[in-house]
Amino acid sequence: MPHVVRSAILNAPTDVVWNVLRDFNGYDRWHPAIATSTIERAQASDKVGCVRRVKLSDGSELREQLLALSDLEQTCSYCLLDTPIPLFNYVAHVRLLPVTDGDRTFWHWESRFTTRPEDARRLTEMVSEQIYKAGFDAVRAHLKLAA
Amino acid sequence: MARVYVSTVVNARNDRVWARVRDFNGMPNWHPAIAESRIEGGEAPDKIGCVRDFRLRNGDRIREKLLGLSDYDMFCTYSILESPMGVENYVATLRLTPVTDGDQTFLEWTAEFDCAPERETELVSNIGGGVFQGGFDALKRAFGG
Repeated sequence: MPHVVRSAILNAPTDVVWNVLRDFNGYDRWHPAIATSTIERAQASDKVGCVRRVKLSDGSELREQLLALSDLEQTCSYCLLDTPIPLFNYVAHVRLLPVTDGDRTFWHWESRFTTRPEDARRLTEMVSEQIYKAGFDAVRAHLKLAA
Repeated sequence: MARVYVSTVVNARNDRVWARVRDFNGMPNWHPAIAESRIEGGEAPDKIGCVRDFRLRNGDRIREKLLGLSDYDMFCTYSILESPMGVENYVATLRLTPVTDGDQTFLEWTAEFDCAPERETELVSNIGGGVFQGGFDALKRAFGG
């Protein structure tokens, strides 16, 4: 089962970064891979169990469900329900931890999924680089932070 | 229960940082506040349950017991058996996590303990700002930032 782990340090306090990440319906405002985002059935984006329908910049669509959200721990988990790519049983976890030495943020983003063996390498690379790494850089840009 | 949480980032891969801090008897090699250390009973310093008896540069003696050590998750957990600090039920963990974006290491050092209420602020400050951050500063110097 592929396991993707990426992490980064952002030059901002965790509250500032969390304010961006906690909006499950707001990734279209900063992530370059995401064109539009809506929550189904007009539910609140911090209602655990809500489903976001996301249109990617290439026009394809996917649906993801919020599995857990904690403002105390600054964590969230979500899974893919429908996807145009062969990424199955995908569950991802986002976690922020304070770097007390300098009031910065450690951002940990990981997931596991299943796929056909011949796709595992390509999809691991895609999730790692185009979703997670690109996401780190995009939030830095969104918050106008130095890398 | 009082809680201490201190974290930092060191400019080196986590395996290099871990090699420096995993030795439960090796604090004098990297922490500037520790003068000398030995493991009681001639046991190996990575044997869970072993006890280190060490002396600080200020002369204080502390005995600590190794409760958990993981080379896989890169953490070390220990408790204080004896110290002049006036703490009870003291358990601390030093944990390393890779920062994949830049080959750095995220270090967290946490402790929980009971103490007299009027001493809590001072102890949290001394342990977190003094002992833990002092160790982090030494590691950052050793690894160039």
